[in-house]
Amino acid sequence: MSSAAPSYDPAVLARVQRLHLKARILTEALLQGDHRSRRVGQAIEFAGYHEYLPGHDLRHLDWRVWGRSDKLVVKTFETETELPVTVVLDLSADLATGAPAVTGLRRLKRLVTGEGTQPSASLPDLDKSKAGFALSLAATLLYYFYLRREPIGLELIAGEGRPIRSIPPRSGRGHLQALLLTLAQARPGGEARLHEALVAVGERSRRRSLVLVLSDGMEEPETWLPAVAAFGRRRTDLRFIHLYDRREWGLELDQAARLYSPETGEEIAVDPAAARTALREVATEYAEEVRRGVTSWGGLYVKGPINEGLEPLVRKVIRGAPASPGGDPFGGEAKG
Amino acid sequence: MSLSMLLPGALALAALIALPILAHIARQRPRERVPFGAMLLLRRVVKRLRRRRRVKDPLLLLLRIAFLMLLVFAATGLRFSYDGGAPEFGGTGKVVVLFDRSMSMSMMHGGSTVLSRTRGEARELIDSLPPGTQVGLIAFDDEATALTSGLVTDHAQVRSRIGVIEPSLGGSNLRAALIEARRMLEGEPGEILLFSDEAGPRMVSEASDELRRVIDQGSAVLSKRPEAVPRNVAVTAARYGDGIEGGTVELLVSNFGDQPIEVPCEVRLPDGQVVPIFADLPPEGESLERVTVPRQAEGGVGEAWCDDPDLPADDARYFHLPQVGASRVLVVDGDPGETPIRSEVYFVERALAPWGAGRSGVTPDVVTPLGLLDLDPQTHQVVFLANVGDPRPFAAKLAEFVQKGGSLVISAGSNVSAERYNSALSGLLPAPLRRAEDLAGRGEPGVALLTPDPSLELFEPFARSGRTAFSEVASRRVVLLEPYSEGSQARTLLRYEGGIPALVEREVGKGRVMLWTSTFDYDWSNLPTQAVFMPMIQRIVAYLGGQSSGAGARFEADVGRPVAIELPDLAIDPQVFGPDSQPVPSRIEGTKLIFTPSRPGAYELRVDASPPLAWVAANLDPTESDVRVYETVMEAEARIAPERFLRHVDLSPWLLGGALLLALMIALLALRGRAT
Repeated sequence: MSSAAPSYDPAVLARVQRLHLKARILTEALLQGDHRSRRVGQAIEFAGYHEYLPGHDLRHLDWRVWGRSDKLVVKTFETETELPVTVVLDLSADLATGAPAVTGLRRLKRLVTGEGTQPSASLPDLDKSKAGFALSLAATLLYYFYLRREPIGLELIAGEGRPIRSIPPRSGRGHLQALLLTLAQARPGGEARLHEALVAVGERSRRRSLVLVLSDGMEEPETWLPAVAAFGRRRTDLRFIHLYDRREWGLELDQAARLYSPETGEEIAVDPAAARTALREVATEYAEEVRRGVTSWGGLYVKGPINEGLEPLVRKVIRGAPASPGGDPFGGEAKG
Repeated sequence: MSLSMLLPGALALAALIALPILAHIARQRPRERVPFGAMLLLRRVVKRLRRRRRVKDPLLLLLRIAFLMLLVFAATGLRFSYDGGAPEFGGTGKVVVLFDRSMSMSMMHGGSTVLSRTRGEARELIDSLPPGTQVGLIAFDDEATALTSGLVTDHAQVRSRIGVIEPSLGGSNLRAALIEARRMLEGEPGEILLFSDEAGPRMVSEASDELRRVIDQGSAVLSKRPEAVPRNVAVTAARYGDGIEGGTVELLVSNFGDQPIEVPCEVRLPDGQVVPIFADLPPEGESLERVTVPRQAEGGVGEAWCDDPDLPADDARYFHLPQVGASRVLVVDGDPGETPIRSEVYFVERALAPWGAGRSGVTPDVVTPLGLLDLDPQTHQVVFLANVGDPRPFAAKLAEFVQKGGSLVISAGSNVSAERYNSALSGLLPAPLRRAEDLAGRGEPGVALLTPDPSLELFEPFARSGRTAFSEVASRRVVLLEPYSEGSQARTLLRYEGGIPALVEREVGKGRVMLWTSTFDYDWSNLPTQAVFMPMIQRIVAYLGGQSSGAGARFEADVGRPVAIELPDLAIDPQVFGPDSQPVPSRIEGTKLIFTPSRPGAYELRVDASPPLAWVAANLDPTESDVRVYETVMEAEARIAPERFLRHVDLSPWLLGGALLLALMIALLALRGRAT
């Protein structure tokens, strides 16, 4: 899964280069002034009790237990030397949207050329669509943890022709290249089916690992949020990066249109003037609903508007800064 | 209240309502198709907006439909009509005042009559009319009388004539008044002002047709009704009937007020006897009271009266009372003819009971001589022995009858034999009979009677007039009498010219015997065809102790309405006397005597000074005593022409205003956002 095919499309290779470069530039900026241990998670952690047998290190005897129960038990410890990081990337067809606002000449051009009226069947633009943004973010995060010498893995949810693709965490430059190549080739498509995907990823993930889920979460939250619990039970550090386009949620259209979902084909005729306010209300409620769900199941919720650029988002993800309750998806974090 | 349209055809525009409905059905779908990655949110938006749209869109549709409906109704000239009371008044400049002077208008209220109060109101109205208004005045009761010569502009004249209107005893003939009003208006529209209590169950209902004509003419009738509370007690019926003692007088006393009341009443009999009673009357109810008549009472017209200060005019009601305890007259026909008119007693019977036995005070019982065998003084007081051939079998019976107080009238005839009569009835005859002798030949008029002496009790009633009619009676043949001397044994009451006795009287025991020396039919005399025949026969009966004043025929009459009395086939010339014993104007048309009683009471039909031939009990129409209001003129008018009482409000400006308001609301809703 991780090895690259011998004959790659030059465009794909260029895309790998670009992803690599983008990730490296961003990551180096992030690492400036960072003096943390190069071994992330290097610590001794209590794992349980065992009956004392001759030969055990007496330093590990639990004298308190002996004092209370007259039994000799030794404490056992697990030593963490690495933190496997898995990036779970939702590449369902809806991620292909999220183009900048269409007005004036651009709209005229689109009417003439047909651009934007159908989701692109080619590789997503890394700077425009939600999918492109997600790919860039995934590459950056993988590169970041690669530099930290952590095993890194990739789980692709949906994506054209590939309902799910799993690359377990490993270390090594070659593995990074394989991951970047996978990202470079990925195209949005199909349905995410988040619940099934997250349950599967949760079962595959190691204990005490870091799982970064990059998704628009565009399925009814009550259907997939319970799957987050699977990570909590495995003591996995789950961070849910909620990707969305503020322009899209703001319904920045200048006239009525038939909006359709690339993922399901569902179509709804909308007068933006009539529905804009309602959509903003619904979007805010929905974001809060997802935040509350992720948090309640033990995860960390991070707002991921694609309109603010990668760097601040990567910082939030790495720092593990949770989104404040009641935050406005169209602005900054809520005060207080 | 109702709604109507001036242009109902404009309702066709209601089809425009289909437009907003079609617009709501056929919504335009946008052409542009744009991919959208947050369909989940959009679904939620749709759901949320649909909830709002459930309210907004039907509301919008309703508003649009209502907008169009308002426009359509505005185009139809929709107007709202409601009952606005009296129609507009005073527009024509012609006013006819109808003034009710019927009996009910004399009801007392607040110390004065309703009519006098109404007079004041009518005068005020006349004063309030603008100068130049043409005014006519009509007073009405049973008849309508114009008090102005057509329409006049001299209001002072109308005012003064209102002042002379007095209540009558008549009813309320509103129909006649309206006819007169229409005549006064000469077919032109005008205002008719009615001053009336509008009392009684028939006043308005009987005038409905005429009211319709008035309305069709374009006129309006406005009524000004006094505010007096209807209150009246009246005797609405009284009649004599069978019963214990001398019979029973039943009187129906009605209370037309809304309060129970006890009133003192009296029944006054013709001979002056008074029987007092009290009547307890329920509110708006009646009570049937019974009064027992004494065993002996004079016949005539009695009066039933109840005290009522509110409306005294109808307190009395008059009823016929026959002679109570009176004897009957037995007529013995000594020569029954082949036909009734050939009978000896045909004319006597007619003279005693001109209108038949059932309706007269005298009941003649006609028998053959054999009937004398059953002669009973308790039943009969007078016996007419007419041309009976042989009285000998009954002589003792007749003698006993007369001795006990009965009276006997003997008339001559071809069957009468002087020998048999002198031998059998010598104790009864005033003088012995001699023979029958012709006084004139066939075809000659005969010997006339002399004028009777009015000082004689028998002829007292003829003292003032009528005596000369006796001289028209002539006989060609009479029975002569043996010479006799005047005294209680024999007293000559009538003589023919030349001194031949015609009617001779003798007192026997407690009774009397009277001898008529000629016949009571055409055989020997022209008496039956003379005007004096009937009064003379009746007077003889009364004089001899039989029927007198109660013998007349009996008729009922309503005050103010002509009474026509068929006269019997006798040559009489009767005169009518009113309750005050004064003559009442009357006329004869054919065989009928006609007069109009002007007030309630007993009216007598008399020939000269004879006892009354007929009694007429004149009463007021009892419906006029009913002073309650059943249907007012205004109510009848509203029933006949309801549109005259309607007020109309043009709703078009309001509808247009409403449509404008709706248009604003629709625009506001549209601006607030068109739904997905």
